[in-house]
Amino acid sequence: MKKLLVLGLLCLVMVGCTKKGGQEAGVIRIGAAGQLTGPEAVFGADMLNGVTLAVDEWNAKGGVLGKKIELVPGDDQAEPRQAVAVANKFAAEGVAGVVGHFNSSCSIPASEIYHKAGIPQISHASTNPKLTDQGFDNVFRVCGRDDQQGKAAADFAVQKLKVKRVAVIHDKTTYGQGFAEEFKKNLGSGVEVLLFEGITKGDKDYSPVVTKIKSVNPDLIFFGGIYTEGGLLVKQYKAMGGTAPFIGGDGIMSEEMLKIGGPATEGTYATFGPDTKDIPSAKGFNENYRKKYGEPGVYSVYAYDAANILFQSIQAAGGTDGKKVLPVIRAIDYNGALGHIRFDARGDVKESPYVVWKVESGKFKQVK
Amino acid sequence: MFLQHLLNGITIGGSYALIALGYTLVYGVLKLINFAHGEIYMIGANLGFILISLIPAMPPFLQGNLILLLLAVVLVAAVICSLYGYYLEKICYRPLRGAPKLTPLISALGASIFLQNFVMISMGAKDRIFPQTIGMQAITMGGVSFTLLQLVIIFSSIALMALIYWFINRTRLGIAIKATSADPYMASLVGINVDTVISVTFMAGSFLAACAGVMIGLYYGSINFTLGYLGGIKAFTAAVLGGIGNVPGAMIGGFLLGVIEALGAGYFSSEYKDVYAFFILIAVLVFRPAGLLGKGANERA
Amino acid sequence: MNGHNLRHDLFYYLGMLLICAPFLKSHTVYVPLLFLGVWGLRRFAAFAGENRTITGIREQMESLVMAHSSLTVGSILAIALLLPFVSSNYLIDVLTSAILYAILATALNITVGMTGVLVLGFIGFYAVGAYTTGILTAKFALCGFWIALPLSGLAAMLCGILLGIPALRLKGDYLAVVTLGFGEIIRIFLTNLNALTGGPNGIMGIKRPSFGVFALDHPRDFYWFALVMLSLIVLVVARLANSRYGRAWVAIRENEMAAGALGINVFRKHLLSFSISAFLGGIAGSLFAVKQGFISPDSFTFYESVLVLCMVVLGGIGNVVGSVAGALLLIIVPEFLREFSLYRMLVFGAVMIAFMVFRPNGLLGSRLITEEIKDSADDDR
Repeated sequence: MKKLLVLGLLCLVMVGCTKKGGQEAGVIRIGAAGQLTGPEAVFGADMLNGVTLAVDEWNAKGGVLGKKIELVPGDDQAEPRQAVAVANKFAAEGVAGVVGHFNSSCSIPASEIYHKAGIPQISHASTNPKLTDQGFDNVFRVCGRDDQQGKAAADFAVQKLKVKRVAVIHDKTTYGQGFAEEFKKNLGSGVEVLLFEGITKGDKDYSPVVTKIKSVNPDLIFFGGIYTEGGLLVKQYKAMGGTAPFIGGDGIMSEEMLKIGGPATEGTYATFGPDTKDIPSAKGFNENYRKKYGEPGVYSVYAYDAANILFQSIQAAGGTDGKKVLPVIRAIDYNGALGHIRFDARGDVKESPYVVWKVESGKFKQVK
Repeated sequence: MFLQHLLNGITIGGSYALIALGYTLVYGVLKLINFAHGEIYMIGANLGFILISLIPAMPPFLQGNLILLLLAVVLVAAVICSLYGYYLEKICYRPLRGAPKLTPLISALGASIFLQNFVMISMGAKDRIFPQTIGMQAITMGGVSFTLLQLVIIFSSIALMALIYWFINRTRLGIAIKATSADPYMASLVGINVDTVISVTFMAGSFLAACAGVMIGLYYGSINFTLGYLGGIKAFTAAVLGGIGNVPGAMIGGFLLGVIEALGAGYFSSEYKDVYAFFILIAVLVFRPAGLLGKGANERA
Repeated sequence: MNGHNLRHDLFYYLGMLLICAPFLKSHTVYVPLLFLGVWGLRRFAAFAGENRTITGIREQMESLVMAHSSLTVGSILAIALLLPFVSSNYLIDVLTSAILYAILATALNITVGMTGVLVLGFIGFYAVGAYTTGILTAKFALCGFWIALPLSGLAAMLCGILLGIPALRLKGDYLAVVTLGFGEIIRIFLTNLNALTGGPNGIMGIKRPSFGVFALDHPRDFYWFALVMLSLIVLVVARLANSRYGRAWVAIRENEMAAGALGINVFRKHLLSFSISAFLGGIAGSLFAVKQGFISPDSFTFYESVLVLCMVVLGGIGNVVGSVAGALLLIIVPEFLREFSLYRMLVFGAVMIAFMVFRPNGLLGSRLITEEIKDSADDDR
């Protein structure tokens, strides 16, 4: 009897526990949602660091509209169920905007809740086209879409590298498989796809796949996935004597890829946004991030820009009311660490030019 | 290509076998599936990383003897991990000796979550890269390519298994472990300190798991805090395949699992790599309900 | 701690410090917390020594009475029904999740708790149920929710039977691994069969059920619907537990050979409990699919199976109300801990260990009736 009453009390305590509507308190709350614990926690950490960097920079300048920004992290552990809980919690706490989520499978159910609450959501990493195809007016993304990136990679492979035989590997995630399928679709009839295989994320041993790839002898190997698997794949392939080059996407565009893959990554291609080295805002980002957190992860820069877009829009709109902020975001002309960003009617980045980079002498360099 | 797959499978199978031994030893004495064992393996790998990072700080005359240093790293990591095993047993399982069978299982799961997050908070969520040391060049012989490191790992795994086999069957403590597996009550009657035996069992299993962890780290080059989950499940499956509670069974199960995965993923689709092992397991269990080398399957516990 | 134990304890803690040291670096501030936690654990474990053995008959009856007391049940239901009026959508959503997990835990309890069969891949049935509903209502739009619901249960039950026929002949832990394999196999097939399941992208746009024109779109409405389903299922399972079948299951759990000798068809009863568990798991899955509107293989990992198992054990093995309590606990407590962000799961793991050490019989006690008989048999030896 006692225990059940205690349980009931817990519920009631929870009712009071959730902070409601923080805007009056003189702070502006921003939610950062992603997997902070769990197997993919590294990406959540990258995201959180990127957003925190932006928050600290704005707070140092006096905050947004004179109010300090409070960052509220939300851990969804890459689980849609928890993503929904986090979304509801953010809505109950009255956050002014959300950077997140990471996985499309989390962003999509969460977006419905943000839509009902009128909270702007900018995803830094969800690439499934369906996220913005839903037509919600509050959903944006600063990363690309699988269909755009796949086409860019395919065009490069066909036109520049002139390959005739490719092996396609993906990591069985929404991002990796989607990217791989778009790549395959855009290759055209002149190219033979020798393999279309999936590897397991989190696995370390890819020798069966590598052996297979070697046995079909492709001109090019496409990999849709993240550097954790990509680096290992390239390394093991070269260790077994393979010679064909790899091509991947923004998931492998990271220092970590070079570290994990080692010298084997030499000659690997990756699609990504154009070089932002010469854009002043970008330079600041890399240096500041390195000072505080070490090497930036692939998605840190996306999260940083997403946060900055939110802050700029709230500042320009003069308030945190979603109805005022959303049109500002949609019309925004933003220059940041990723370069120039504008949103189209669906919430995707308008011009999303992907260019191809190549690893030369141990560093990624943009291919002209 | 078949030989290549075989070789790949044996390499990874060796590490599965080492971890599976830990599962099987503990199951033998406690009839408990130690779900936290996978995390011990992960801790071993991480400790290996921490220790290897210390090598550049060592005086130069030691640095010349890289092989000796690596051996020292493995040894120290393994010893510390065996202590982890000891504390794991003492804190999470000993208080639950008389409890219903499922309770220590949940405690094990809690320990697994705790250890995983402990390491994540400490080491960060990023992958840690092992410095590329020795034996990484590919050698090709008869259409099969391998590296020196690969051979070293295979031989080390077999050596460690021989060691544990000797330990279990030829030393007093090892025989005490066998006795306790057979009947704890009778073992205590003949003067065996069951508590000590159980602690030693955990420590031995953890020792092996840590060795596997460091070897995997050296071989694949990158580790993180999530190794324990996949490695744990695979090794556990291997242990059951060979007959849980049976030491040679765990060894065979480990190698077999590695080879099945390599062959399955190599000849069929690699997308279903993780399932082949389970299919084979179910098939084996249908014909031999106690695993390949297990006994006493007719009575349900 | 008297003088004799002090040296022993000192070595104990020094040892812990030694093995944690490589990982602590700048976090050394947490060392005293860790020690405090472990010290506390040991002290109270020693103190609560006698109370940690199996509960006696008296406490058994108490928990049984509690499970059936209409006043308790009535008041809890009243609180549950009225809660949505004072809660935010966040709390309602968390409670609805908790209810779905409660259904899962109750379903699993039949197999694990009452029949004594360890199942490690239960989430597979959840997945089958969810995807059946998703495929039927959203992907191919073949029928509405009300037809999909029982079909999902039946699909899961079919899987349960197909799995059970070979698997239930195996000994306890081997069976456990096979069920683990089943859970993983289901998840991998769901990820790979793109045409049917949408692959890693899952299935979107699953609509909420509707009574004619009244759709359960509002969180509150769905919460009540889920509550009704939970109550129905708990009622059914409680009746089952007290029926001929329930008693047969408990008999099998306690001593299979004796049960067989008494004329119980052990295999059939095993299969029955397994199928019913699977059926209810499928129903829960169907509810999950319409609650979230979107399903993907990410939701059906091994970790989820483990979570449901924990709920059953935490609540008390064999105790129907206990499973519900366990589900509430394991869903609501981590939400409290969200304040700790990074340390949330660390604390959660520690709490699980502590919980089991202090209350090995679960929150509401387990129905291990014959432990008394075993104990008294020992006296005669």
